[in-house]
Amino acid sequence: MKRNTFFAFASPSIVVMLLLMVVPLLMALWLAMQYMTFRNITAPEFVGFRNYIEILNDPFFWRSFNFTALYIAIVVPSWVVIGFIIALFLDQVSGLTRGVYLSIFLLPFIIVPVIGTIMFKQLWEPSGLLTWVYQELTGARFRVNETSVKTLIIIFGIWYVTPFTIVVYFAGLQTLPAEMIEAASIDGASRLQKIRHIVIPYVSSLTVFILLFSIMDSYRVFDSVFVLSELNPQFKADTVMTYTFLTAMQFQRLGKSNAMAILTVIGIMVVLVPFLYLMYKEQIAER
Amino acid sequence: MDRVNSPAGRVLVHLVLVIFAVYSLVPFFWTTLQSFKTFKDAFSRQPVFIFEPTWANYQDVWIRSLPEAGSSVGYFILMAAVVITCLMLFARYLPIKSTWIYIGGLIGYGLLLWAIPQLVYMQKYYKYFINTIIVTVFTILTSISIGCLAGYALARYAGMAAVVILIAALAFRALPRLAFVLPYFWIGSLMNLLDTHILVIIALVAVNQPFTIWMLRSFFMEVPKDLEESAMVDGANRLTSFLNVIVPVAWPGIISTALFTLLLAYNEFLLVRVLTQTNWTLPVAISRYTGAEDPAQLTLAAAASVSATIPIIVVILFFQKHLIKGLAAGAVKG
Repeated sequence: MKRNTFFAFASPSIVVMLLLMVVPLLMALWLAMQYMTFRNITAPEFVGFRNYIEILNDPFFWRSFNFTALYIAIVVPSWVVIGFIIALFLDQVSGLTRGVYLSIFLLPFIIVPVIGTIMFKQLWEPSGLLTWVYQELTGARFRVNETSVKTLIIIFGIWYVTPFTIVVYFAGLQTLPAEMIEAASIDGASRLQKIRHIVIPYVSSLTVFILLFSIMDSYRVFDSVFVLSELNPQFKADTVMTYTFLTAMQFQRLGKSNAMAILTVIGIMVVLVPFLYLMYKEQIAER
Repeated sequence: MDRVNSPAGRVLVHLVLVIFAVYSLVPFFWTTLQSFKTFKDAFSRQPVFIFEPTWANYQDVWIRSLPEAGSSVGYFILMAAVVITCLMLFARYLPIKSTWIYIGGLIGYGLLLWAIPQLVYMQKYYKYFINTIIVTVFTILTSISIGCLAGYALARYAGMAAVVILIAALAFRALPRLAFVLPYFWIGSLMNLLDTHILVIIALVAVNQPFTIWMLRSFFMEVPKDLEESAMVDGANRLTSFLNVIVPVAWPGIISTALFTLLLAYNEFLLVRVLTQTNWTLPVAISRYTGAEDPAQLTLAAAASVSATIPIIVVILFFQKHLIKGLAAGAVKG
């Protein structure tokens, strides 16, 4: 394809991305340096970097940041480990059975995250099923407090994204060459040894992909935290994203929340840049 | 991997899979159960599994007051929906061209959705449902038509510009929605566009564009190059050969991408929550039920959640193959 044809075909999409993503991002940089509330939305006041300084001295911001870090540290490894194990098991069945299992496993990932959260929350209402199970097992009452809300957020996070890693690993396992496994079988390798020395190295590039992607995705987690932290407004368990949202819509500090969004962008860059570099090399190699 | 063949091993495999299936399904199971309960049953501390199911929660979510001839109106609406669905399912056995039947069927559904509130006094929830349909449909149409052109170009052009665009798109895909949404909110309030469908649609098309072009590109890469080359030898230009030759071949991939765009638009919460005040879509509308202090909302929230999930499950059942294909193609939820 010639260069001109390429631009003719791609221009609508390029225009959309320039106009609706690059421009807003630049605008966000500018807005982050304004003092702006809902009142002076037409006449913002320039304050330079004061918003950033305010954020870095804001204990609530750091609290939300710490919780986000904890969330990533627990949720991402769980996705990888559980997803890989279930994919291995799923690989053992075939035909219709496999299809049925796969559809069931996919459900948490397919439904609207907010609705999934609400459904999950129903289990933990005072009259919920798991509240009852918890009380029967431990004998203690299930209390809604900061720790339990945070735990629920993390459990939900694991519940609803694991299907994605299952499918990615499962698709990867389908391409595993049978000869590699056969050769190992002839050498008398046990199943665990085969998984350890053949399968895990084989899917390692997928693992890197999943890790990078899920770190970025879990950094941006919003919907589930937003719904679940409403359980008890006195014990807010905010992540960076929900805190940014509250700063904008509840405390009406649009400039400050924009600065927070910019800081998040910078934070994500740490993971994004190596990821982009990997993809860039892959793209160059493809050509 | 090779199969586990020992009987004990087979039992273990299925045991693990069944346990995981239960784990995946518990919230659905419980919420559906709650949605059919009366207040008293739903609030019992000891979970009630056997009870007399009631439709009252669903009725409260959807319908404000029943018309006098409630049942006959209901049957009429149901029959109309069944007839249209059957026509579309069996379109290929009818003597008319299938495309026309599909178009007619879609118009029929549209008319039906328009007619329901004229016949029955519906709740606000119905309005949110319609909002969701409008936003989703227009997002898909815009997103896919722009994305197809770009995806095709990116699949066929080997120059550096393509690499730059792909990598930039990936970077945008990874950035938080909030970084884009707040400027939209600002522009929207300056131009009095807040609370309109058009702003939500524009925002959705924009944030989903990176994902769309990546996915479509991967499907267009699978189409052999000789196809359009032979068409172009026959004298067709790029655009006509693209529309007449490539698009039909890549159609399953386009459907896959449309399906993911549908899910993304239907699922979107944050963006709609910021950019609208009353013209909500379903996720935002439902989240309102749970924020309230009134415990009576519990069963309503359950019924609303189940009602909003059913359309998605129907779509997924119809297009399951496309969904798995898209996921396996390395597509990533946005």
